[in-house]
Amino acid sequence: MVVETVSLAAVAVCTAAPLVGAVTLRLTERRIDPRLVASAAVGISLVASLVAAACWHLGSGRPTTFGPGLAGGSFVLIDGLTAILLPYVAVVDMAIVLVAPRRAFASPGVRRLLTGAAITFATLSTSHPVALTILWGVSILATWTTIRSTAGGRTTARVYGLAMAAALACMISGTTLLVADPPWLTGSGTTGAAGGWLVAIAVMIRKGLVPFHSWYHTLFSGASLATALVVTMPQVATYTAVRLLVGHADGVPDELLVLSNAALMTAAYGAALAVVQRDARGLVGMLAMSQSAMVLAGLSGTVPTELCGALAVWVSSGLALTGIGLVVWALESRGGAISIETLQGRFADAPALAAFFLLFGLATLGFPGTLSFVADDLIISGSLDDHLHAGLFVIAATVFAGIAVMRGWFHVFGGQVTVDAPRHALLPRERVAFTALVIILFGLGLWPGPFVRSLEKVAASLLTSRHHHAAPPLLESHP
Amino acid sequence: MTPPRPFDDPLSVLVIYQLVAPVVALASIGLPALLGRPLSERTTTRVVGAAFTTSFVAALVTLVMIINRGFAAHVVHLGSMFAVGHHAATIELVADGLSVPYVCFSTGLCALVNAFAGKYLHREPGFTRFFILLALFGTGMNLMVLAGSIDALFAGWEFLGISSALLIGFFHERRNAVDAAMRAFCTYRVCDVGLLAASVVIHQATGSGDFATLFAGTWPEATCLVPGTTALTVSLLLIFAALGKSGQVPFSGWLPRAMEGPTPSSAIFYGALSIHAGAYVLLRCESVLDAAPAAAWLLVAIGGGTALHAAIVGSVQTDLKSMLAYASMTQAGIILAEIGLGLRVVPLVHVISHAILRSLQILRSPSAMHDRHELAAALGGHPGSSDWSLVRLLPRGVGRSLYHIALERGFEEAVVTRLVVLPLMAMLKAADGLERRWTTLLGGGSTEGRMRHDSSGGMP
Repeated sequence: MVVETVSLAAVAVCTAAPLVGAVTLRLTERRIDPRLVASAAVGISLVASLVAAACWHLGSGRPTTFGPGLAGGSFVLIDGLTAILLPYVAVVDMAIVLVAPRRAFASPGVRRLLTGAAITFATLSTSHPVALTILWGVSILATWTTIRSTAGGRTTARVYGLAMAAALACMISGTTLLVADPPWLTGSGTTGAAGGWLVAIAVMIRKGLVPFHSWYHTLFSGASLATALVVTMPQVATYTAVRLLVGHADGVPDELLVLSNAALMTAAYGAALAVVQRDARGLVGMLAMSQSAMVLAGLSGTVPTELCGALAVWVSSGLALTGIGLVVWALESRGGAISIETLQGRFADAPALAAFFLLFGLATLGFPGTLSFVADDLIISGSLDDHLHAGLFVIAATVFAGIAVMRGWFHVFGGQVTVDAPRHALLPRERVAFTALVIILFGLGLWPGPFVRSLEKVAASLLTSRHHHAAPPLLESHP
Repeated sequence: MTPPRPFDDPLSVLVIYQLVAPVVALASIGLPALLGRPLSERTTTRVVGAAFTTSFVAALVTLVMIINRGFAAHVVHLGSMFAVGHHAATIELVADGLSVPYVCFSTGLCALVNAFAGKYLHREPGFTRFFILLALFGTGMNLMVLAGSIDALFAGWEFLGISSALLIGFFHERRNAVDAAMRAFCTYRVCDVGLLAASVVIHQATGSGDFATLFAGTWPEATCLVPGTTALTVSLLLIFAALGKSGQVPFSGWLPRAMEGPTPSSAIFYGALSIHAGAYVLLRCESVLDAAPAAAWLLVAIGGGTALHAAIVGSVQTDLKSMLAYASMTQAGIILAEIGLGLRVVPLVHVISHAILRSLQILRSPSAMHDRHELAAALGGHPGSSDWSLVRLLPRGVGRSLYHIALERGFEEAVVTRLVVLPLMAMLKAADGLERRWTTLLGGGSTEGRMRHDSSGGMP
């Protein structure tokens, strides 16, 4: 009971800290260093999220719930998935706060970052369909506003807005129908089935799965990298799919099959497109699209190995791609936009960034000693156990992603020096952020046992929940 | 039989040390460099040299000990890195008649190349980078060779691939070096699928990645434990993986270009160790290959074909490093053919002798060229050489055709490029173009050329 209370309190602090930070910045406009406030707020969230994770590990392994329930979902739900995702998102946010160029903090954007972080933490702590839908709407609106306020971001805002409006419409109507007639209950009719399909379509759009993926590239090329990373790395759509569909797999098998196959195609297609990208942002975007699709493909599986692999890919690819994205941002802030059509010769300008880009790249392409090696090993093995074609798609995705990453590295840093400027040393805050990400990725890769064991617990609980939710009460109430 | 626990006996300690020494060297020079405080040149070469030299001595002592035991395999079980359900990634090291000689000559060569490179790359901007990659390569080589499971072998194999690609692109300011590095990496990446898939098939067939579940007995007289169809599948996948690393037809195009890297790395990678990684994997799994005669004959055909191809193409090369690259390819092809023919000790001896000879030739090549130029200057012209060739015995038309084929490198690259690479790239670029047009249409304007310096609205 004590553990559960502490866990709930930690999640509350985790969610509230960024909001408090945003309000503080609003009230103390320009009197306090915004980076200091943002770092403190996200730091508190990080500590709180680690406490929540520790509570889950120390507890009985049963999920902690709070507040009213609806259609099998809880207003606040802290289970293994939440315990893993909250610290992961906090680390991503902290890295962004530390690496963001100084001028990015001279705008109200930092308040939006903190608000966005709070919305994400809240989303990852609920399985309530209505709460999820509302949080989807709020985060989409906040992101759209942010992109629109970015210089030259109107076109991107339009593409993003169109896609997300469709996703939100599907999500609202889908959850309404799901709540009215849950398809996993005996005797459910076409209403519930339609709800399941609408939610699946909403997930496909928000996740950028083929054929609804076009906004992904536009987001990375037209919005700021911080926006793109904050929007894509937590994988809110995957989380939603887990809570509303994967958790009730017995009731929505066809929807999951379509999602799984679309995700597999997206994983391979996105990685293949990454090979021919013309700029570094496009490269990061396509890799993010591919890797996040791989997560959903794995989570739709039925083999524990596959689920563990998907969860490991979620964390490893998210951290590694955050690293690459932030290195690209740091390079852009030093020497302008980065094309990868030709050799840019940035090695002499920023050798430390070259080293970190390479390390994050290796951590993306399944290099031994990194978490992605473990993740790829599990997901490929699990996928092949599940379906042969799934394994082949995953293998194709890893091959293309590897080639794309190395092409990106050689094209950004190879070639004659083109930047006519003094050599740019790495700033201490950048070194701290990059080193921390490297330590996590390589530390978990070299000593993966405890992490994989916790993923196994999460995978087991996800598989169990599929059967437990076969006939839940329509309306539940939790203390 | 339960394998002995690590540190239980001196032999286990020696085997573990051979793996740990290059890892320690890698961490010792890599971490300070990452933190912006690279070690001095002298300290760097001493650290790496000490690691390889002591590892070499440990391997020699191990060799003596296992000879005294009649070449009985000594297994060191280091435990499981992780396990989910029936899938476990175990780390087992095996010291036997195949792995220990391999470690001896690989660590010995690495130690020699380390000493050579310390002088050769003096004051080179990428000095520390070279030695980090050399230590990474040594780690990968020893891990691959000592691996007692397909998982550990695959990890070592990947270390070899990445260090090889990065060393080919060592002089990254040169366009040719970058292109050569990318070509090598792409070939590796595609062929690595073979090893990855073989690993999955082995796991599925035996429930484990340990070689002990794949074959029983001591090398080279092990017995395959899996059914014929599984053996055939695994063999074909391993052969596919070996083709890339060993520069065999149709994946040989990267090898001559790999000489873009520094001479010391060319010597150790493409003259000695990396090019024989494929041969090692096939020798390690020789019993599986024995159980799949069709795959063995395919290997003979590919190895023999590559040897012929490389011998013909190599004879018209006009620069020394390319000639040596094709000579290496020829020998690697012959070695694979020997393995396919069921020989075991012969290819091992062939690998070791070829590796030592070729390393010496490549390391000597820059100074040999210098000596030759000096000799030519002293003589007032190039020193004479015999222009006799076997080709002259052929009819004139055949000789000309062969010459044309050799100049075009057997049309191997042209075929692969035209039939695979270009269509694939054209398809991907067309898809990317369509994507951009579609998003432009959706956005009601152009999203092209919008890469920019991050704007003031950079944060969400």
